[in-house]
Amino acid sequence: MAKRLTLALAVLFFVITGALPVLSMLFRSIYIDGHFGLESYRGLMSSSHQWLLMRNSLALSSLVTLLTVAAGVPLGILLGKTDLPYRRLLTLLFVIPLLIPAYIIAVSWSGLLGHWETAGRWLFGLPGCVLVLFSVFLPVPMLLTMVFLRTINPELEQAGRLVSNWRGVLRGITLPLILPGIGLAALLVFVLSFGEFGVPNFLRFAVYPVESFTQFAAFYNFRAATAAALPLAAVTLILLWLEASWLRDKTWRVRPVAGAGRAPLIELGSHRLWLFVVVVCGALVFAVIPIVVLLFQSTGAYAEAFSRAGASLLRSLAYSAFGASLLVVLGFLIGYLVYTQPNRYGRAVDSLTFFLFALPGTVIGIGLISLWNTPWTNLVYATPLIILFGYLAKYTALTSRITVSQLAQISPSMEQAAEIAGAGWFRRMLFIVAPLAWRGLLAGWLVAYIFTLRDTGITMLVYPPGHETLPVRIFTLMANGTPQLIAALCVIMIVATLLPAGLLWSLLIRKNPGVGR
Amino acid sequence: MNAVELATVSKSFGGEKVLDGLSLVIEQGERLVILGPSGCGKTTVLRLIAGFVPPDSGSICLEGTLASRDGRILLSPERRHIGMVFQDLALWPHFSVMGNIEFGLKATGVPKAERRRRIAEVLALTGLQEYARRKPGELSGGQQQRVALARALALQPRVLLMDEPLSSLDEELNQRLRTEIVRLQEQLGFTLVHVTHNQEEARDIASRIVAMQGGRISD
Repeated sequence: MAKRLTLALAVLFFVITGALPVLSMLFRSIYIDGHFGLESYRGLMSSSHQWLLMRNSLALSSLVTLLTVAAGVPLGILLGKTDLPYRRLLTLLFVIPLLIPAYIIAVSWSGLLGHWETAGRWLFGLPGCVLVLFSVFLPVPMLLTMVFLRTINPELEQAGRLVSNWRGVLRGITLPLILPGIGLAALLVFVLSFGEFGVPNFLRFAVYPVESFTQFAAFYNFRAATAAALPLAAVTLILLWLEASWLRDKTWRVRPVAGAGRAPLIELGSHRLWLFVVVVCGALVFAVIPIVVLLFQSTGAYAEAFSRAGASLLRSLAYSAFGASLLVVLGFLIGYLVYTQPNRYGRAVDSLTFFLFALPGTVIGIGLISLWNTPWTNLVYATPLIILFGYLAKYTALTSRITVSQLAQISPSMEQAAEIAGAGWFRRMLFIVAPLAWRGLLAGWLVAYIFTLRDTGITMLVYPPGHETLPVRIFTLMANGTPQLIAALCVIMIVATLLPAGLLWSLLIRKNPGVGR
Repeated sequence: MNAVELATVSKSFGGEKVLDGLSLVIEQGERLVILGPSGCGKTTVLRLIAGFVPPDSGSICLEGTLASRDGRILLSPERRHIGMVFQDLALWPHFSVMGNIEFGLKATGVPKAERRRRIAEVLALTGLQEYARRKPGELSGGQQQRVALARALALQPRVLLMDEPLSSLDEELNQRLRTEIVRLQEQLGFTLVHVTHNQEEARDIASRIVAMQGGRISD
């Protein structure tokens, strides 16, 4: 009874924070002045501007997906499976751009290339957006390739090695076996770049999330903003269908096989040096140089940065830490439900979490305002609760999926033994399952902290007056702040992300040497 | 000429010595069974012969050719003409039975017509003709075992290594497959190196048995 009630309440809470705002937005867009109508959408299909937005959005996401997968998969193989020197350090360097808000990388590139007219012109538009989002999302296929490589039984590759060199084994055995992981990476990159708001907004490239945000924030045209959000929701639904039909069963219970970490590495031989040089150059261009540029630009501006955005920094840290903790609890409960009830109900709840994760943050933001902006719900709308609700709506998929993967590695007999011993469900969760899943919970907290800290799409729309977070503050200061001040704030943002992430990551590695090998 | 020769081979993993100066000569066409308890180093011997890992010290020769010596692999696995049946069979789940057999033939450059002929031959030898288009996951344990054997035999290896492939099968199937392995070896004439901890299985298969204990051949 306790189990059913708790899980049902968790789902209900998630529906209220996540699904209801989107439904409310949809309802308000078709219920106008006391009657139902499709006026908001009529202009949508006929306007050539809408088609331009769709073309731009799809072109950006497709190009970023294509390039990141083409580069990320070989990179993941090099860093996860070969004897390339300094693999762990290089992996960490490549991951850095993913951890920080994407527009910070755009700010850095604009600082670097802005001095040259041609390069500056090239940066502002599709090529610049592709360059920045490529560097930001490259770690997604890279990391997923590394993770899925560890799920392959080494003997499958050794059986191939008896008849073929490594190139043939990678082509014929390894890559087909990690194909679901590559598919998941492609889907995630597409989703993330499709919903990206900060980079196209900064680099002035017209895509749907920017249009939706502008219509809402600049003109307060709710109908136009909602109409611009609808194509985003439609594409998201298609992606959800793709994920549910082709990938979910193959990817949601990623289980590293015993011995995968000890499998012999591919010896690169005479190719080792030039491949090392290529990978180091990639890390320098896409991870090190953007940060070094910001460091140089920000010299002497830190005092002003702290005085103008110190409060925003503290708020960001507090909201993200609190939001990540809530996400771990809600994600654990929903992940437990999805794992233990692999029926239609469990799959529907899982689909809803993924749909909201895939939905651009600006759409969720508009939905939250649509639902909570009433005189009776100021407790939510006028307080940081609305930011936390936004985090829960968008990022629960991350912590619930991590929970599912972690639960798949715990034998069901652990909980059953406690049940036979007379322990109730809460006691079993608290003293048996949660301690056994602590690594997943910690990793979930870390991922949730990073994603909430870097969030701009939702926060930018819903933050109540006096509650702006650091990414929002940086964004608003871009209009009138000096480049030095912006660079200093970006560096502070990077440190705020990397410091806790580094500390927790080192804790995970120390307690489990297999992590990050 | 000996099929395989290991001379004072030592191997450690993570500071733990698994093989300690092991020497072993395996003659052409014999069915050698290495018998020993879990963790005695039997599988490591097979992995050294296959060329997956180099010996820390000592040397390994295959038909008179130096294949590995003192921490170095001189002959990569695909150039050793060795077949192997792994403990968990290691059947590629994304290929059909035919695909599993054909992968190695393609990789070694066997022409299409010859590939077809060899696939048909090993399918007939192992009684798998009607399962050619099925995926490994759609087969029973015994059928999977035969696929692993067919895959290894299609390449006409000079030496076939078998790493406790029967251990997960029930007793009746285990006994039937022992007989089949011996029949196939006598029919095709390859050298067989089979490792097991089961004495009865060793007696049924072997033309010679060596016992292993603590990383050495025991007397």
